[in-house]
Amino acid sequence: MMVSEIDMISPETMEECLQILNEYEQEVRLLAGGTDAVVRMKEGHWRPKLWLNIKGLRDLRFICEEKDGIHIGPLTTHTDMVQSSLLQEKADVLVHAAKEVGATQIRNMGTIGGNLGTASPAGDTIPALFVLDAVIELSSVNGIRRIPIEEFFVGPGKTVQHKSEMITNIIIRPQEENEIGIFEKLGPRKAQAISIVNVAISLKMSGDGWQCAGGKIAFGSVAPTVIRARKCEVLLTLQELNEEGISNIASLAWKEVAPISDVRASAAYRRDMSTALLERGLLRLMKRWEDR
Amino acid sequence: MATIRFKVNGKEKVVDTHTTKTLLDVLRDDLYLTGSKECCGKGECGSCSVMINDEVVCSCLVLVGQVEGEDIKTVEGVGTSTNMDIIQEAFIKEGATQCGYCTPGFIVAARSFLNKIEKVPTLEEIEEGIAGNICRCTGYTKIVKAIQTAAEERFSRIGAAVTQGNLQGKGD
Repeated sequence: MMVSEIDMISPETMEECLQILNEYEQEVRLLAGGTDAVVRMKEGHWRPKLWLNIKGLRDLRFICEEKDGIHIGPLTTHTDMVQSSLLQEKADVLVHAAKEVGATQIRNMGTIGGNLGTASPAGDTIPALFVLDAVIELSSVNGIRRIPIEEFFVGPGKTVQHKSEMITNIIIRPQEENEIGIFEKLGPRKAQAISIVNVAISLKMSGDGWQCAGGKIAFGSVAPTVIRARKCEVLLTLQELNEEGISNIASLAWKEVAPISDVRASAAYRRDMSTALLERGLLRLMKRWEDR
Repeated sequence: MATIRFKVNGKEKVVDTHTTKTLLDVLRDDLYLTGSKECCGKGECGSCSVMINDEVVCSCLVLVGQVEGEDIKTVEGVGTSTNMDIIQEAFIKEGATQCGYCTPGFIVAARSFLNKIEKVPTLEEIEEGIAGNICRCTGYTKIVKAIQTAAEERFSRIGAAVTQGNLQGKGD
């Protein structure tokens, strides 16, 4: 199909959008920031019969705190997240991750809903959302269901989202006062780079020392989906997070990941770099904890 | 085909075109605004940078059906040869252009960057601000210098306006 043969509808309300998703019989795809979708259209991978342009649904662009957590609308751009004082205060790991995406132009265009929907194993905001226990709200004309992020991804580019559904909310857990987070990324260069390996870490510290009461570690770009490093997480609480303890935890990281070799890096390099990034992240976190 | 209405450089435009044509192609082919350039076509080089509602974006990744009613500013709206923006003047002064293909994108990105800052930026901040634009000739040193020069110029003008009790011109 030629690009000029693709139709576009720009619904004015979410209800209208869900109605179209439910009723349209041929292939339809949602279009928001376009930073992935338009590239795939140009390359010939995505030529749906219809683009459902949701960029104008301003009601789906919000960041606010509710009783059950911080709600982030799917059309929230990466720039919105970087500039949000609420996220800076209560979800610093997500702010770090959003900052690492592309450069100004891409951060102004790309949305968090798009980053989830594209479901790239290298998506930068996804590991951060993992350690913040994100829940993805999917809506359709038949109702709403909420999926914990760890059950949302099935494989590269694949999620549990049905054709008639769209992401309408992302709910994250606000970090507590004794909680600190960091996002580390290795890419071919600083800006505009797809991650070779990335990792998000969130730690709850107990007291003022280097004892950790629990934490979460999520790696990206080293498996078909983002993954938690559960063995490393267990070790977080079993010893003080001094240089030796951190080195012990990080040395286990290569066993937790299952990378492939591709154009960006070899599997062996990714394994080594998983260890390096985790160690760097933990050291930086502890430095920050010490200096706070 | 559809009729799409939006503003470009302050003027209302009406275009009959395919909704899936990129904004960049519409600007160049339908509106003859050929300042914005296509280079990579996938959002990596910034040559096609334009502002939509004051936010800099890659116009090669925006479909024209998405900009109905929006306010777009291209390099032609930032300044022209007879009425140059301080950034364009600074690019000439510092010799920040060689082949020139990336220059319009840099001008738009730099203008958007300067619009959002409140003091003369550090070199790191400038580098971060233009990280979405690629130049294969200059090695960036002169581009960064030009943006710094423009920023100093902008804030010294604002400073002068403040001392005179007149902030309306904002210096640029």
